[in-house]
Amino acid sequence: MKTLRRLAAFALLLTLVVVVFGAYVRLSDAGLGCPDWPGCYGKATPAHAAEHILDAQAIRPDGPVSLPKAWKEMIHRYLAASLGLLIVAIAVLCWRRRKEAGAGAGLALALVGVVVFQGLLGKWTVTLLLKPAIVTGHLLGGLTTLALLAWLTFRLRDMRRVASAGGLVAMARIGLILLVLQIALGGWVSTNYAALACTDFPTCHGQWMPADADFANAFHVVRELGMTADGELLSNQALTAIHWTHRLGALIVGAYLLLLALLMLRHRHSAPHGAALGAGVLLQVSLGIANVLTSLPLPLAVAHNAVAALLVLIMVLINYRLRRSTSPAWSAGREHESVYA
Amino acid sequence: MRASTLDLENAGQRLRHFYVLTKPRVNSLIVFCAVIGMFLAVPQGLPSPGVVFAATLGIAFVAGAAAAMNCLIEQRIDAQMARTRARPLPRGELSSTETLAFSLVLGGSGLGVLYAFVNALTMWLTLFTFVGYAIVYTVFLKPRTPQNIVIGGASGAMPPVLGWAAVTGEVSADALLLFLIIFAWTPPHFWALALYRTKEYAKAGLPMLPVTHGAKYTRLSVLLYTLILFGVTLLPFATRMSGWIYLVCAVILGAVFIRYAWRLYVSYSDKLSQQTFRYSIVYLSSLFAALLADHYIRFQ
Repeated sequence: MKTLRRLAAFALLLTLVVVVFGAYVRLSDAGLGCPDWPGCYGKATPAHAAEHILDAQAIRPDGPVSLPKAWKEMIHRYLAASLGLLIVAIAVLCWRRRKEAGAGAGLALALVGVVVFQGLLGKWTVTLLLKPAIVTGHLLGGLTTLALLAWLTFRLRDMRRVASAGGLVAMARIGLILLVLQIALGGWVSTNYAALACTDFPTCHGQWMPADADFANAFHVVRELGMTADGELLSNQALTAIHWTHRLGALIVGAYLLLLALLMLRHRHSAPHGAALGAGVLLQVSLGIANVLTSLPLPLAVAHNAVAALLVLIMVLINYRLRRSTSPAWSAGREHESVYA
Repeated sequence: MRASTLDLENAGQRLRHFYVLTKPRVNSLIVFCAVIGMFLAVPQGLPSPGVVFAATLGIAFVAGAAAAMNCLIEQRIDAQMARTRARPLPRGELSSTETLAFSLVLGGSGLGVLYAFVNALTMWLTLFTFVGYAIVYTVFLKPRTPQNIVIGGASGAMPPVLGWAAVTGEVSADALLLFLIIFAWTPPHFWALALYRTKEYAKAGLPMLPVTHGAKYTRLSVLLYTLILFGVTLLPFATRMSGWIYLVCAVILGAVFIRYAWRLYVSYSDKLSQQTFRYSIVYLSSLFAALLADHYIRFQ
């Protein structure tokens, strides 16, 4: 059990690293540093494929392929693959103990499923040339892995759960959903290169509500990067709409999470987590604003991703901690049932 | 500040009662099957996310409304059975009027969403499903015949068809195959539960199969239907709707189900029956997940 706990905690840490490193690879335009998958020009490391890489770079010096970029991409792949193997090992260990209470075998198996799918998304990111939907999905897959691993770690450590008022618990559950939606929007901004579609704050193009935003073309999910669904060039107006929606989302989700943090601060058992949530939200909003005002410097952009991942962790922790106090009405919904019963 | 927290808790409490009415746990499987139907309906790529979102929301709302309507109609029976006594209506936490209003508003808005953002066919099919379950099954079939869930199973088998219709605007043969799978799955699924609750059903006066025809006959029926189900689940492979990945999963999942049904037939225990019931839920969700995985991995 001790080994398992340590493995899970280590995997959690590694996931955080892989997610943030993945964002770094993406934001430094190294996502296509190796144009094939799983190898780099079919080789195990960029060093082995140096000839091909240098050739490609010679043809297009500013193209997507160069040695440093190939290294970033391959390091991400190897880190992610190690994480995948680690998760499989954890699942095997959990499965062996499935009879014991709190072993989390089902959760661990679900994790393996997510990780396999995440590997596929990683492959498609490369082979389907950075389609925004795939890349955003890859981000969300990473965060799902993070959330599930966190939950498993908490469970294996048998961390204390506190029975809390139904309203607060529901608020925390909804808060996590809102956070994920806002992160999906954020991923959409980044993968469509819309982060600098508005360069002023709080207004956009000097307007509070940009009149020329094109929402119709902004949210077609299945399409090529930079194109509308009909294959035309995605306009700046569409990018503005994407950017603006993320800001609006930040306003709503930020306010909601701050309210949740305030409510939590009022109870002794939840105050520390409330404080962490509040601080995280304020930091994340500041980073978002700073990215707009300073034209997206790499460290700030990566930090915006890292804090998003931390917020997911905090919200998962809060959702784990706040257990619904079991009332008969609730347990009625939890029993094994059939619609025909 | 104190009062506002109390209000929040109170409102949360009431919201939860309404939430329980929608039977979220059983309905999540139904909505899951509908969503998979949406994805399977597109030969390549993904369905329009707007349609998926609206159709999921609409179908979930109507399913929730049907469950609430069922709670309303069966509140007297629910009050007699230990298992259902704690539902909001028998406990007096919600009144009949509140429940009816909730069901109508929820179902109405679900149908509205389907009509406005999906298509008229999906709305009509969903409405028929609602009537099929909340009225035909609950009011007419359930208290009258031991074949209640066999016939009534048709409404529970509709979700993938609804999902399919939402995305393509039509009902194809493939969609009907998915319908057939759930239709064949329903009897062994439900009778596994009825077997360990026979006394309750007898007390409430509901003519479930083990009440009218005895446990032995029901166990044989479970086994036979499980064999039928196994055959039906091979059809998606036979019609080339799905490939090898699906076939392997269907055979393994089906073999486990048959093993449960066989053990139930030769040596019955309440515990085994509960395990079979629980497995039937895992079975259906895994089978549909396999359909989806197969669909996308093949087209890669």
